[in-house]
Amino acid sequence: MKKRTILTIGLAALLTAGFGSAQAGHSSKLKAAYEKELAHAKALVEKAASVEGEWRDIRWKKSKKKFLPSAIAAAKAGDYKKAMKLLKIVEFQAEMGYKQAMAQKNAGPQNYGF
Amino acid sequence: MKKIATLLLSAGLVAMSAQAVPSPQEDLKHFRDYFQRKFPGLKLDELRNGINALDENHRMQWEAMEEFPPYEEFVDKGKALWEKPFKNGKSFADCFGKDPSKVRVKYPQWDAKKKRVVTLELAINECRKANGEKPFKWKKGPIAWVSAYLGYMARGQKIHVVIPNDPDALKAYEHGKHFFYAKRGQLNLSCADCHVKYAGRRIRGNLLSPALGHVTHFPVFRGKWANKSKDGDGLGTLHRRYGGCNKQQRARPFKAQSKVYRDLEFFHQYMSNGMTINAPSYRE
Ligand code: HEC
Repeated sequence: MKKRTILTIGLAALLTAGFGSAQAGHSSKLKAAYEKELAHAKALVEKAASVEGEWRDIRWKKSKKKFLPSAIAAAKAGDYKKAMKLLKIVEFQAEMGYKQAMAQKNAGPQNYGF
Repeated sequence: MKKIATLLLSAGLVAMSAQAVPSPQEDLKHFRDYFQRKFPGLKLDELRNGINALDENHRMQWEAMEEFPPYEEFVDKGKALWEKPFKNGKSFADCFGKDPSKVRVKYPQWDAKKKRVVTLELAINECRKANGEKPFKWKKGPIAWVSAYLGYMARGQKIHVVIPNDPDALKAYEHGKHFFYAKRGQLNLSCADCHVKYAGRRIRGNLLSPALGHVTHFPVFRGKWANKSKDGDGLGTLHRRYGGCNKQQRARPFKAQSKVYRDLEFFHQYMSNGMTINAPSYRE
């Protein structure tokens, strides 16, 4: 019973997504979702940067990947799907960078076997 | 009886807090001892030669380069800049004193008034600004020439960084030290992983230099940087190198002369105290 409900909901969601792209108004929904995601991603990046934990390929100007600027460029070109995918990478890397910095709070000299 | 217990307790607490944050002097001793145990065959001043101290092939190449040093013309340019008066008639000597051989050893230094680490390059540009000149770009070109000239003139003197017993200075030092030991970037490696733990080992084909003595030959002249420049100028500052190494960790590099890098330099140079300056030097 429960399984079937989930399946139905899932199917419905899939269908909406599938047909939705053809509908007017859908792109503005995507845009709103993207904008929300972008704000979230940016906040996570700032949080990582605030503890000196930002990784190289998020937005550094000389990075070849530059996930954040690339996401913004993709959205500008209308490819919100790609933009969202890139934002997910930004969010992952920013969260990892922050966690890493927290885990390294007490880093210091060791003997490394000598 | 109670008194004794209190005494013992407070002694214990003092001992504990002293252990929690070792002094810079203790850090330095630990740092040196580590490398001397790791490379027992090498004298202290040998270690400053980086990978050339560890590998015969590199050493031979390096010695050949140093016979006709490619950095000489840029050191000469630095000398010319040092001597050239500013538009207001003053010159670097008005900021640093007349003797160019006495400048390098004073940096990096703690500026108690502004509560910050002042590196040689920062001082060079602040001198220019104070005299109405445009500051140099931070990582290469004229700033590296002047810095290389001052390093060259100081050859044979020993690194002598002073960390005053001032809570703000110690905070900057601890910040730099932490930056050095903390893993960062997508590769989850610290400066210390590559240049302390794995010093003398290879990582992706690159032999890793010991961090002890890292700073004695900066600004460095790198073949790689010379190839990238139009006029064969391979000189670059210590902060240029920091940026490159942060990039290798896949961490976002910080700006040259940012607080992070100045604090890192405070710690990093202090760890080479007592080692002989041989700037500039050639590296790959
Ligand atoms: C992934 C390993 C790695 C990490 C992490 C790393 N470096 Fe390096 N570093 C290198 C390699 C490779 C070289 C070039 C070979 C050499 O001289 O060790 C180098 C060179 C240097 C040099 C120049 C040595 C010389 O003799 O001219 C300095 C200084 C330096 N690194 C400092 C740092 C600092 C400070 C950090 C931390 C911010 C750091 N490195 C992190 C790999 C690393």
